[in-house]
Amino acid sequence: MAAQALASAAFEEGGYAVAFPFFGSERRGAPVLAFTRIDKKPIRIKTQVYEPDFIVILDEGLIDSIDVAAGLKKGGMAIVNTTRKPEEIDFGVDLRVATVDATGVALEVLKRPVTNSAILGAVAKATGIVSMKGIEKGIINIFGGRLGEKVGLINAKAAQAAYDKTIIGESKSSGKAKKKGTAKWLPTAQEMLPGAAIGIQDTPAGKIGMGSMSENKTGSWKVFQPKYDKETCTMCLTCWWACPEGCIYRTKDKLEFDMSYCKGCGICANECPVDAIEMARGDGQ
Amino acid sequence: MTKRVVTGNYAAAWAAMVSKVQVVAAYPITPQTFIVEHISEFVNDGMMDAQFIEVESEHTAMSATVSASAAGARAFTATSSQGLALMHEILFTASGLRVPPVMAVVNRTLSAPLNIWCEHSDIMASRDSGWLIMFCENNQEVHDMVIQGFKIAEDKRVQLPFAVNLDAFILSHSVEPVDLAEKGPVEEYLGNYIPKSSVLDPKNPMAIGHAAPPDYMSETRWQLHDALEKSREVVLEVNKSFAEKFGRDYKGLIEEYRTEDADVVLMTVGTVTGTAREVVDSYREQGKKVGLIKLRYLRPYPKEELRKAVSKVKAFGVYDRAVAFGISGPQFIEARNALYGLNTPLVNFIAGLGGRDVTTGDVGKMFDALLDVAKTGKAKKEVVWIGTRGVSEW
Repeated sequence: MAAQALASAAFEEGGYAVAFPFFGSERRGAPVLAFTRIDKKPIRIKTQVYEPDFIVILDEGLIDSIDVAAGLKKGGMAIVNTTRKPEEIDFGVDLRVATVDATGVALEVLKRPVTNSAILGAVAKATGIVSMKGIEKGIINIFGGRLGEKVGLINAKAAQAAYDKTIIGESKSSGKAKKKGTAKWLPTAQEMLPGAAIGIQDTPAGKIGMGSMSENKTGSWKVFQPKYDKETCTMCLTCWWACPEGCIYRTKDKLEFDMSYCKGCGICANECPVDAIEMARGDGQ
Repeated sequence: MTKRVVTGNYAAAWAAMVSKVQVVAAYPITPQTFIVEHISEFVNDGMMDAQFIEVESEHTAMSATVSASAAGARAFTATSSQGLALMHEILFTASGLRVPPVMAVVNRTLSAPLNIWCEHSDIMASRDSGWLIMFCENNQEVHDMVIQGFKIAEDKRVQLPFAVNLDAFILSHSVEPVDLAEKGPVEEYLGNYIPKSSVLDPKNPMAIGHAAPPDYMSETRWQLHDALEKSREVVLEVNKSFAEKFGRDYKGLIEEYRTEDADVVLMTVGTVTGTAREVVDSYREQGKKVGLIKLRYLRPYPKEELRKAVSKVKAFGVYDRAVAFGISGPQFIEARNALYGLNTPLVNFIAGLGGRDVTTGDVGKMFDALLDVAKTGKAKKEVVWIGTRGVSEW
């Protein structure tokens, strides 16, 4: 919807625009891609965008897991939802960067961590391609059109708040950016089992092959993460039973949480009879 | 006319509304869901005076649509992939009864494996159902063709159902500026649906859908075939009258793009056309004589138009977003049949299956192969799979 609202904003200001999403079959919180093209003339091309002028990153955890700046044009810019300042982010290359705590803004204005409207305020400020007024109209058109006028207005307010808080700067590569996760295993027609069956086999993606969860760290979906107090914990294992993802492990004298797959649902904290777990905003990683 | 940034799904729903559709029977299926959701909102908000029937399956959605049409109502529905497959039986009933509903088909992959993204395997499997079948390049065309669809389908010479195809996600979920027509001009253009023959009217009773033994079937089939053949002239007439009224001319069954003096021509279908236009322009700038044919109608098939266009070129390519397993792409079967007897070398390109992006580079590979054929005069391969890992290309 953010990509659509951006397109609508550009159109309101006299340009042509196309926006489209690409998503898998996962639920809310899973990483998705969306593309927006803006031009002064009608846009005919229907492919995904491979050489963007701007990248907008709603989940900063992705910076460490995939090469988000791949294909970014020379002189291009990254706009990131983070509590950090531009110079504190390491993309592995030197980049112009704008940052804003869109999650913080969303929690404050919308009372929920839905960041896609807020981030558009940063897009307006950082790119200068669309004005804040245009973004407001775009959000009211798209969010308001789909979810009602009230929702449109409050999301426009979130964008304005983010606009005011956006910091524009630069980030330099330290040369020691975290190694990106393993590249997705894309087998040839000969390497795949007939019918794309998933069997137990030795593949670069592990024993299970295509779609392996070793490549799909669902832990990146979360906004909140469990904070565990070992001293209060009685090892009753209620949380262990309750965790829908099986992310909680029992060791000799304490519990461990597998943050690679914890989606931050908070069921463990809710079920804990002695309040040994509380949900807190993590660093998104 | 209001110009707004909307999805292909919205454009289809809006066009159904302004076409004064009276009955919509639908079952939601990704990614068509939004078309019927938008329509249910239009009905709920009083913007559309239609009966919205929620049914329990696509089979029933098509049954109810056919029945409404047979009762004299202007009827619309929408579907996608498995949904279209489940409708398959009733697709033949619609054309066999000679009723003219319009259906938006959001083209996506038939399982297995499960894939919700764009492919033409769904509609190509419905090829011989007796429907008029056309493909869209952008959301404006989706909107316009739903309106034109009713005009063509309801014509006395046609009286057949009409399928408007739009690529899943690439159009259905993409927003772009669309001129959304107002009710007034569309009403003037379409008028009310007045059934020409098959109609269940108590004042003028008739039986339809009864048994027809071998004594009658051949003639019935010929009638249908003849109506589809004759729908060509109606398509052209409606294209012209629509252009006069609404200012957008889609050129008819095919649209040629920079084919004048072209050495090689690629025929595309659906959204790849827009991308291919960009590639044609950049190849032309490099002095390469390439051109493009956008196939708009699969039924009726533009046989004469294609023969005329292809007789002038040194190599002709056919793009397919589906596979006719065991022979080639289905569009290639169609094209080669239409072009039988011409000496032009033909190459089939299969790309974009299961929603894989068809990039400018992919289309470039197709033109490069065709330019190679033009130079040597011979196609070294008949069917080329583009961008399939482990499968050699040209």
